[in-house]
Amino acid sequence: MPDVIIKMEELSKTFISKDRKGLRSKKREVQALKGVNLEIYDGEIFGLLGPNGAGKTTLIKCLTTLLIPTSGTAWVNGYNILTHENMVRASIGCMLMGERGLYWKLTGRENLDYFGALYHVPKPARRKRIEELSTLLSLGDYLERSVETYSSGQKMLLAFAKALINDAPVLFLDEPTVTMDVPTARKLRKIVRDLNEEGHTIFYTTHLMLEAEELCHRVAIIDRGGVIELGTPQELKSSLVTEEVITLEGVIQENVVQNLREIPGVKSATIKSESKGRTTLAVICDDSRQLLPRIIETMVGNGATVDFIKPHEVTLEDVFIARTGRSLGVDTRVVAQKEG
Amino acid sequence: MGLSVFSHRSSLGVILTVLKARFLIISRYRGSLFLESLLPLVFAAMPILIGVAVAGGDAAAGQNFLANVGTADYKLYMLLGASVFIVVSTMLWIVGFWIRREMEMGTLESIYLSPAKRIHVVSGIASYAFIRSSIAFVAALAVGSLVFGVNPFRGEVYAAVAFLLLGLVPLWGLAFLFGALILKIKEANSVINSLQWVVSFFMGVFFPIAAFPPILRYVALTFPPTWMNQGVRASLLNLSYFFEAWYIHTAVMFVFAAVVPLLGYSIFLSTEKRLKRKEGVGQY
Ligand SMILES: Nc1ncnc2c1ncn2[C@@H]1O[C@H](COP(=O)(O)OP(=O)(O)OP(=O)(O)O)[C@@H](O)[C@H]1O
Ligand SMILES: [Mg+2]
Repeated sequence: MPDVIIKMEELSKTFISKDRKGLRSKKREVQALKGVNLEIYDGEIFGLLGPNGAGKTTLIKCLTTLLIPTSGTAWVNGYNILTHENMVRASIGCMLMGERGLYWKLTGRENLDYFGALYHVPKPARRKRIEELSTLLSLGDYLERSVETYSSGQKMLLAFAKALINDAPVLFLDEPTVTMDVPTARKLRKIVRDLNEEGHTIFYTTHLMLEAEELCHRVAIIDRGGVIELGTPQELKSSLVTEEVITLEGVIQENVVQNLREIPGVKSATIKSESKGRTTLAVICDDSRQLLPRIIETMVGNGATVDFIKPHEVTLEDVFIARTGRSLGVDTRVVAQKEG
Repeated sequence: MGLSVFSHRSSLGVILTVLKARFLIISRYRGSLFLESLLPLVFAAMPILIGVAVAGGDAAAGQNFLANVGTADYKLYMLLGASVFIVVSTMLWIVGFWIRREMEMGTLESIYLSPAKRIHVVSGIASYAFIRSSIAFVAALAVGSLVFGVNPFRGEVYAAVAFLLLGLVPLWGLAFLFGALILKIKEANSVINSLQWVVSFFMGVFFPIAAFPPILRYVALTFPPTWMNQGVRASLLNLSYFFEAWYIHTAVMFVFAAVVPLLGYSIFLSTEKRLKRKEGVGQY
């Protein structure tokens, strides 16, 4: 049994948000986290996968002491997030808000030096660390320029360097590749893997299932503030082996999808993407061989045009669809194609 | 534990790093630095010119002033008021805008992610505000003296400096009280604008607070900068201290210096904590 380095106990967070309508506003509670219990092992890359608004950022903010949970608690590197905030902070490196959180009027080097000092990294160690990071992330040529002149991807890399400045045992990365181009994102994932091999534990959130599948040792799927699945990507996928996934493409109306769901044996029918009038539909069922004629009949009978049918291998996205009846998001498809 | 090594030295390092970063950043906004240094002069010139205009000539204005305030040197009186006000406003301004800017840029969250103690970060900002407001004071007083032909080196100069320094301490407290307000309402411009006028009114920049009706006078007396202002003026222009005695005046200022920073800082911390229970400092 590996050591547990992050432990969450019934972590919950409720936001009070104001619904505004002209001048009037009404208070509303948003339950961003609902009693999350998770254990992260020392030395693993742990992926938190979930659609927009699932609560990923909120969970990271609670674990990194930026937010105080409404109830429940957690330990990071053995320190409690409520009672030993500074020890938690010294144990972690975070990349939370993309390219925000840097001083635009300072150069890259000045930024890293500033945050190094705030992490109490002694001056000589700081200087050495900045050189290491400059090599690791190939920051060299723009480190002496002020951040306002950086491209968005360069800012992201600097923010990543900032997260590494104190060489902490635990790293929290909140959708770090989200605004990066494909090669930069690939490079970042490679570095994450290398850091992990050096012994860092990595807590990685993403809404890209391919990213989670490729990078993470274990994955938790979070939806609407609750963890709905937990295991290795392989375990999660094999939980669906008794089920089959069929992808159908064509001109498919919403009422057709509704009718499909009523066919006995169909577990779910979910629109994965829609563009230029073409729809991609994922149908999860017990036995595709037996059900396919009925499915096609229903579709055509309701006015849909089907021009492509493919049974396919189970992905983490299918696991998500099977558990929630919803798709992770359209973006996944784009990146999946680029990643090839 | 990564590379962090906690020591007194590294804590001092946090203070100095924050201070240095402020100077680096302001030095890269040349235009605003120039405007900010001009502002005190404009501010001091206004009442002096009004005084001349209303009273009709230097001598007449002086006579009137002597009868009402106790000194004929209304120019120095105004200039001192304006210069002390510049100190107060620079302090509130720097701390207030610092919080607001860091919130907007997301760097406040970055600071909160680090294990630096809040008191060290805040001390860095306070030192910066201290240096900036001292420079503003000296600049306003020096140029003002030249322009209006007054000599500020008269009376008890050392006492005046002492009152000035003593008055700065509660000012830090007020600045963080003010910072807490900005943290809460997530807005700085309108607060700073309106507060400028309230502050200058209550601390009696252009007139003695003896001119206030009683209630307003008591309100003004609860405000530490009022005492700072009067202390500086009384020692240089040989006017009376509040409650007629320099030692009472000094004692009250010591009490302010002891209480207000603690009050301001603890309200700042509790506002911060409340914010973390709600939506965090990342919302802006
Ligand atoms: N300050 C806040 N006030 C009110 N509601 C909030 C606040 N912050 C987050 N929420 C809500 O909490 C829920 C979870 O948000 P969170 O940012 O954790 O999602 P996420 O999984 O990180 O999504 P994304 O993939 O878009 O980053 C959302 O419904 C969001 O609207
Ligand atoms: Mg998020």
